[in-house]
Parts: sequence; C-alpha cells; structure tokens
Amino acid sequence: MSRYFPPEAYGELADGIREVLFTEEEIEERVREIGQAISHDYNGRNPLLIGVLKGVMPFMADLLRMITIPMEVDFMAVSSYTVESREQGMVRLEKDVEIPIEERHILFVEDVIDTGLTLNYLLRNLRAHEPASLEVCTLFNKPRRRLIPISLKYKGFDLPDRFVVGYGLDYREKYRNLPFVGLLKPEIFQP
Amino acid sequence: MTTTESNQQTPPVFVHPIEAEFARILDYYHIPWEYEPRTFALHWDDEGNITEAFSPDFYLPDSDLYVELTTLRPKLITKKNRKLRRLRELYPDINIQLWKRQDLRDLMIKFGIDEHAAKLLGTDSQEK
Repeated sequence: MSRYFPPEAYGELADGIREVLFTEEEIEERVREIGQAISHDYNGRNPLLIGVLKGVMPFMADLLRMITIPMEVDFMAVSSYTVESREQGMVRLEKDVEIPIEERHILFVEDVIDTGLTLNYLLRNLRAHEPASLEVCTLFNKPRRRLIPISLKYKGFDLPDRFVVGYGLDYREKYRNLPFVGLLKPEIFQP
Repeated sequence: MTTTESNQQTPPVFVHPIEAEFARILDYYHIPWEYEPRTFALHWDDEGNITEAFSPDFYLPDSDLYVELTTLRPKLITKKNRKLRRLRELYPDINIQLWKRQDLRDLMIKFGIDEHAAKLLGTDSQEK
C-alpha cells in the first residue's frame, strides 16, 4: 500500500485541481536531492536557513529533515500588497529573524520565486546585516516574469506561467495543504 | 537605429489604470521605475522619416528591463507581438518583457486583489 494519499483523498480541494503538475513523490525526491546538496555544500558552516511565511512552511519542514548537518532555522514575515496596504505606503517587515545573522552563512529558502519583488526586498534587508554569505534556494521557479534578477543556488522545478497551488502555494489561503502541485480549474477563479 | 528619450520631471499620466496599479506595486516594493522613458523607431519611409515607433510602458533601471503591459485579449495582440519582434530585431541588446492579460491577472491573484483586477482587466479576465 502506498504511503502517499491519492489526490482524490483531498476531496473538495482536489476537485478544484485541473491537472497535477508535480506529484508528492516527485517533490519528495527533489527535496531529498536539494537537502543532500545543501548538506554537502554547507558541511562545517552551520548554515542558518531563513524562510518567509507562510507559503514556505511545507518545503522548509521537509527540507530540514533532508539536511544531515547541524543547521538552524528562522522565519520572516512581510506585509503583502493589498488594496488596503498599498494606501499605507511601502512593504514592511512584519516579523524579522530572531537569530543574529551577522557573519552567518544564510540560505534563504523560498517556495516559489516569480517576479522577485518580495524576495529582493528581503534579501536587501538581510544583506544590510552583513552575513558571511547569502544564497537562495527555491523549490519552484517562474523565471519568465522576473522583474528583479535573482541568483539561485538551488532550484527544484521550473513552473509554467500559470497559477498553481499546493505544497504551500495558495489561492485565497486555500490549497496550501495539498502535498502535490497543480493547476486550478478556471471556474475556481470566478469572482 | 533611432530612439528618443523623455525627460520625466512630473508624475506620469497613465494611459490605462492597470499601468497605475503596476506602478503602485513597484513603489510598494521600492523598485525604481520610469514611465515610457524611451521611444524606439521601428520603421522608416524612403526619406528616413519614422513611420512606426514603440514606447514600452515601463523601464526598471535597476534591472535594465523594459516592461510592456497589455490588457488585450490573446486574439488581439498580434500587432503588439509584431512590434516586439521588430524591436528585438533592431535593438537586440534591449531587455523587454511583455506582460499579457493573464500575467497581469495572475499577479493580481497573487496579491489577493483579483476582484480589483477584474475591474481593471474586464469582467471576463478569468478566462484561461
């Protein structure tokens, strides 16, 4: 018996999915490979992995358990662009890291990088604290609409230019708990 | 090749509300931008007069990137695509992205303002 739930086990959430792009098994295998690479590259450097809430949670949780060297983890949160927040000015940190990052080897972990706008803001903030190194790891990459060039040290998968959900990626806060990544049915978007 | 550059001293008047929204997003994330700062000549007549030109909507100096936005439906962007092809032929060093209707809609969904986007893009903006 497979230890993976079939997509249909997710009931109404799975009903909203038109096509599964990456299965739970494929994601698990790729995360394992990235974890092994990080364990090799950062051996003896006690890296600090930093993620931005909330989408990175599943990836971060799985990635940590695939890393076999001593490491630490911390999280940041950033205000989202909304109709309301845009009237209040510019993006701001809602939660900063709690572990000091000066002279640390930082690996910034993202679930998906699209335009690079949010990540660019966060990396600028982190660089100001003068870490020993600062690299980026993303599970999913959408390069076509990148507005800010971002150098990636580790990448899981390239995504098509479509709106995808699952494994941390949401639509109106739903679908994050799907263990796979898929395309939403068009009717889900109807207001 | 021929290009002209504008001198932007006053706030721009956006042609379409989606451009204003895009500018607000860039401002929100502290990204410098210029609005239609440069016009690229695309065709000339026999006397050397410019007969067709193209002014990308945005220029992001930090990324050296031009961005053109279109809310036209896919069937209607043939002319825009042709201009972009010509631009890339004549100015191969120019880095430009075309943000189509669905790109803009996806961006608005990502920011949770897709209902607002529907007003900007039209009521059938969710078509896939």
